[in-house]
Amino acid sequence: MLAPLAAEALRDALRRRLALVVAGVALLGVASAESCTAFGPGTWVVDGQSVDPELVAAWLAPLLFGFEILLFVVLAGLLAADHLARPLAEGSALLWLARPVGRGAYALARLAGALGVAYAAGAVLLGGTAVLLVGRHDLAAGPAVVGALAGALGAAGVAGLAMSASLWLGRVAVVTLVGTLVPLVALINTLRAAGARLDGFLGLLDRGAPPLGRAILAAVAPWNPHVSDLGAEAPRLLAVLAAWALAGGALLVLSFRRVELPR
Amino acid sequence: MVALELAGATKRYGRHTALEDLHLVVPAGAAVGLLGPNGAGKTTALRLLLGFARPTRGAARLGGHDPYDPRARQGVGYLPERLNLPASMSLRGFLRLHAALAGLAGDARTRAVEAALETTGIRERAGEALGGLSRGLGQRVGFAQALLGEPQLLLLDEPTTGLDPLGVRDARDWIARARARGATLLISSHVLSEVERTCDHVAILHQGRLVASGPLDAVVRPGESLEDAFVRLVSPP
Repeated sequence: MLAPLAAEALRDALRRRLALVVAGVALLGVASAESCTAFGPGTWVVDGQSVDPELVAAWLAPLLFGFEILLFVVLAGLLAADHLARPLAEGSALLWLARPVGRGAYALARLAGALGVAYAAGAVLLGGTAVLLVGRHDLAAGPAVVGALAGALGAAGVAGLAMSASLWLGRVAVVTLVGTLVPLVALINTLRAAGARLDGFLGLLDRGAPPLGRAILAAVAPWNPHVSDLGAEAPRLLAVLAAWALAGGALLVLSFRRVELPR
Repeated sequence: MVALELAGATKRYGRHTALEDLHLVVPAGAAVGLLGPNGAGKTTALRLLLGFARPTRGAARLGGHDPYDPRARQGVGYLPERLNLPASMSLRGFLRLHAALAGLAGDARTRAVEAALETTGIRERAGEALGGLSRGLGQRVGFAQALLGEPQLLLLDEPTTGLDPLGVRDARDWIARARARGATLLISSHVLSEVERTCDHVAILHQGRLVASGPLDAVVRPGESLEDAFVRLVSPP
């Protein structure tokens, strides 16, 4: 039951205007990366001294790729924000759910549809940027692969949580939550990694939310010799993100089983 | 054998009681018209039977199963009152997906889809997007998906909504054919004349309560029409 429903959910996601916006953002991201990575010896000059392009790349690559992973995660959350709530509100979901289809299968199919578009956009965005970074500046491909994996797991977790929230909150509220909380968590994770002391709500968010920022930092850190030791944490953080992805899916299934239709 | 059952089903939405202690048993092969004024609880009863909502008290059973169990909806065709078709899907693609979800595969799926297109008279439009169809054609599509694979139980909520007189006559024919092959029908409708023609039992709801149920000739007194009986049962004393 899951496969035909997921295929339809993917087709439905592709037909939405938001999919065009997401595709546009992904292409814009690659275009930006193309512009940002187009430098070589003599491009950067400070106090009359040419800056070593390898040094610039060592700082630029983690920043650029990390930002794009975060963008990918946010896009996944935005796509999921109403991909289940909309057919429920319109009533078109009732026809599918009157078939011998489990609530869980339907919800996971809608999640898969939203993630399908997000992953395609992520592949363009992160794949294009990685090719530019690795090809132009001779950086290792490993951090890009680990970073993309962190992004994929983070996207699945955030999309699952966003879709669950959409069963109880309006679209604007879910979009606002995704658009603010994901960057906020990444920011406070980064501040914490830089040694900042975080108390209260921010500390709680740092400890309790999916470690998106820390996982991204750990993934891309090997590109920079000054922070490469952060990379040791990557396997553990990927495992935590995988657990969050599973938890997001489980929460979605459990939440949707409790929802009365039509909403 | 019981096809569907509501056993003391009560459904409350906050302070509003949509259904109160409804007992309704529909035996296999029966054709029951579920009648009542607007807001009487007809659609709520269908929602409980399909597992879209849980009763606040009491129970619903569909084919002997809890309607939340997907197995309960095997062999069920449903036509909702407000039909919202996915606008950008093609008609044939829509029916093929429904057939797949109904458990039909391979040639059986193709045959079922083509038969439903033929029966409901929409074969020529099979390649079109659902969003471009008129209300009446949309209702025919709704019937086509409900009739896919010749389900043993049909739940139809205001089935003639949006149909022109020819469409109403066709719908009557589709329902009669389903009855002839032994399907169980539960039809929620305002159109009493249609219920009188297509059903052998009626259940009349008023303000969430069952005020009458049984064979048509037991509910309707001699010399009365179904409309007379309906007015007598739901009008204030």
